[in-house]
Amino acid sequence: MRHGLRLRLRDLGAGAAFASMGVSGQLPVWTLALYGLALLCALMGRRLFGRRAKLTALLLLVVAVVLGMNVLAGSLNLVVAACAFAGLISAHRLLSTPEPATDGQVHLSGLLMVAGGAALTGELTYGVCLVAFGVLSSMSLALGVVEAAVPEGEPVPVRQVMRPLATGLTFAVAGAVAFFILFPRLNWNMMGPRAAPGLGAATTGFSNTVRLGGAGTIKGNPRIVLRATLDPAPDKENLDAYWVGRTYDIFDGQEWTNVGGARGTGDWMVTLRPGSEGLIHQRVELLPAYGASTLVALETPSRLGNAASHTQTGSRRARIQELGGGEVRFLDPGIAFSYEAYSLPPGGSGDSFQKLPANEQDALLTLPENIDPRVAQTAARVLNGEREPLAAAQKLAAWLQRENSYTLELGGDVEDPLADFLFERKAGHCEHFATALTLMLRTQGFRARLATGFFGGERVNDVYIVRAGDAHAWTHVLVPGRGFVTVDATPPAHRASQASEFLQDLLGFYESLEERWRSAVVDYSFRDQLDVARALVRPPKGSDEDESPSRLPPLRAWATALVAGAVTYGVWRRLARFLGRERPHDATRFVDAVEAQLASARLERHEGETLEELDARLAREHHPLSPALSPITRRYLEARFGGRPLRQGESAELLATLKRAIAADARRAAAEERAPRARRAS
Amino acid sequence: MERIATQLGRAVQGKEAQAQLVVTCLVAGGHLLLEDVPGVGKTTLAEALARACGLSFARVQFTADLMPADILGAQVFHAQSATFQFRPGPLFRQLVLADELNRAPPRTQSALLEAMAQGQVSLDGATYPLPAPFTVVATQNPVDFSGTYPLPDSQLDRFMVRMSLGHPAPEVESRLLTTRGVAPALDAVELVSGPEEVASLRALAAELKLDGAVADYVVRLATATRQHGDIERGASTRAVLALGAAARAQALWESRDFVTPGDVRALLVPCWAHRVLLRSAVQGVTARDEAAHLLEEISRKVPAPR
Repeated sequence: MRHGLRLRLRDLGAGAAFASMGVSGQLPVWTLALYGLALLCALMGRRLFGRRAKLTALLLLVVAVVLGMNVLAGSLNLVVAACAFAGLISAHRLLSTPEPATDGQVHLSGLLMVAGGAALTGELTYGVCLVAFGVLSSMSLALGVVEAAVPEGEPVPVRQVMRPLATGLTFAVAGAVAFFILFPRLNWNMMGPRAAPGLGAATTGFSNTVRLGGAGTIKGNPRIVLRATLDPAPDKENLDAYWVGRTYDIFDGQEWTNVGGARGTGDWMVTLRPGSEGLIHQRVELLPAYGASTLVALETPSRLGNAASHTQTGSRRARIQELGGGEVRFLDPGIAFSYEAYSLPPGGSGDSFQKLPANEQDALLTLPENIDPRVAQTAARVLNGEREPLAAAQKLAAWLQRENSYTLELGGDVEDPLADFLFERKAGHCEHFATALTLMLRTQGFRARLATGFFGGERVNDVYIVRAGDAHAWTHVLVPGRGFVTVDATPPAHRASQASEFLQDLLGFYESLEERWRSAVVDYSFRDQLDVARALVRPPKGSDEDESPSRLPPLRAWATALVAGAVTYGVWRRLARFLGRERPHDATRFVDAVEAQLASARLERHEGETLEELDARLAREHHPLSPALSPITRRYLEARFGGRPLRQGESAELLATLKRAIAADARRAAAEERAPRARRAS
Repeated sequence: MERIATQLGRAVQGKEAQAQLVVTCLVAGGHLLLEDVPGVGKTTLAEALARACGLSFARVQFTADLMPADILGAQVFHAQSATFQFRPGPLFRQLVLADELNRAPPRTQSALLEAMAQGQVSLDGATYPLPAPFTVVATQNPVDFSGTYPLPDSQLDRFMVRMSLGHPAPEVESRLLTTRGVAPALDAVELVSGPEEVASLRALAAELKLDGAVADYVVRLATATRQHGDIERGASTRAVLALGAAARAQALWESRDFVTPGDVRALLVPCWAHRVLLRSAVQGVTARDEAAHLLEEISRKVPAPR
């Protein structure tokens, strides 16, 4: 299995390249399956397409047509389709007969796939796949070079290859990092829109619609979606605050919507309601796991602005727009966002009912047309004549918490989810509780609306974080004179994230890595490069202002220059040695092989003895190997120093004769050893 | 070459290896320094060489009062033509045996220098070419130091090969006693070659291919001698060239048309042992042994090209 390791490394490298696209979650599932199958076959050594290379290439044509139709139908992005096709070309090559051309094509398609991966995703997992591809493919290529150099039938010195290769890879990676940090970066826009992360099974999280119903189980998702610095900073480990994204006022029996539409065409700043004393300032980052572009702020937001969207190519100022339901959204797409927000202190929104547009005023009392009459009856029974809106809401909330249990199991699509929740299942999640409370209040003439966002806020290093699983829905009840007041019908224990502690820690670790990756790699920009350069030359700002200003650069600049100089010198030395080394002569490789065979024959060798001297010595000693070795030595000397190179295949021939001679000698020695014993025995 | 060496072997029995070396030196166009105790056949060897190759031969016994003119020749007043005529000295032979070279004063020794290096003699402003192939075989008695002028390093450097014969093996000695009797050893030497053949051999040797790797090997050896801690002065460039020329001649023994590292190694000690100057204070034969030892060590340490 001379080529086994090299091919396996090659295939794994291609697999890593494909994975770098696969982690984006955008490739069609059937391409993932096909590639996985091809890779498995290739790793098991079954090159299925080895026989009919041309015929099987037609399969690629079929695949191209399928992908093309998907693109035309609009179900597949062109870039994604191209990436998928590159992957399938690679799969076809993996299954073809391994020969130099195929190897080159596999590596080339690997490069193509890595480039595709860069267009599809820039996440940490992509980086890992990229490095894996680089390492595996380089090892495979290096082994290929060595295999080509070693004569047929000789073992490949894998270990001897891997050592210098590891050094080389280390240098390459160091060089790449240096290049990355120091080479001026330009912004170029990658083609193709970026799909929102978090595709796949339903998870808890902030969604753009509130729709009751659905089947299955909502999984608790502990990924961090939001990070906020608060000013004034509350002295609490768990903030337990409501972070509102938007509100809803119309429920049609299944789904919540708004009557209000977009306001304005987008601006740098949006004022939702006038500010007052003691505003809470928040600097918020929405992380990629958030997946939506709605701005979130502590209840009740007053002003939002100074926003920036972060894309692969850097950060830029972003426009935001107010939509219906007090929702503020980013106009431009981005992986992550940051902005600042001011919120009113707790205790009423200050919204006065009269200021709302007439249609929104009406909407606050609207009920679905086919609402179950039991809802109103139950509400009336529970309220028992209570006319104060806040007290009524709290009474109903307490009743809901008492009568219904919390579950993340979905009840399936039913005709009337509300009635199902209240009277059949008596179990549901926060949207059910909040919807029920809002509608029950409305049946009794109290104005209320549904609000969605997050509940929680956990302090980590002076920053409050909110997880996807903290997504929540609650009720705003209109209290005359105070505006909308939050009332939460969901049982308190189930308001925040439901994920396990261990999973949260694990994800916290991953998030911190991902965050580092994003800030240090994806968002690393020309400006950061300048900062690095400046930090190397100048002392950190404000650290030693009281020192007398010196005209000389600080010590660290000297140290950096010294280290950089040493590294450059070292690299240069290595490179010089490497480049200065002659390519081994054909005859030298031949003599290495001859000496390896002689070593296997356990011939006594003197220190520093060349083959020429060994041959002379054997001839003097009349050694049985001498007649076989002499012509070989002679031929080697001619080839190496006499300018008469070895013919194609000659070295193999000569080695074979030597092998035969050694074998014959070994047989003779064995026979001699047996003979005296036999004599003794007789 | 085989023929010449066989004839030499007849003259000095049991010394085939040395005989080969002498022929190598002759073919390489170098001069030979024989360093040995008296009575082991130095002179016989030189004479046998001349005889086998059919070279004109002169023997100069170097003594303390030997003057340059004694070996080079002198301008002699010719009475009949009333002019000075050059009368060539014993040096104007193809093979000159300079016996006990270190007994002559430095002046005479240095007169030999030009002759050895340039193959010509300059006297009173005129230059006289020496007959080709001009070869000096010098002998030197290393034991006897009183009344000698040690050869200067520059002079030593001009000898391509230095060798010693050493005492013959006991059985060879006893055979000498029984077989040879009164017949002079040289009678057994037959003329097997001529100056033209020596010249053509020299031309052949000069044309041999010396691969870059082998040249590099020689240079690396020289560098190693220059950097060795026990060696005051390493091999000179002339030493490098001499080794190359000698290795070329050596390659002819195996009728190869290229030089191998093995040729270089075989001639490393004879070619260089007298050229390196040791740091230690030892002199003469001890110094040669020491130098040979060091050179062998170097040849083991410097990897041969593969």
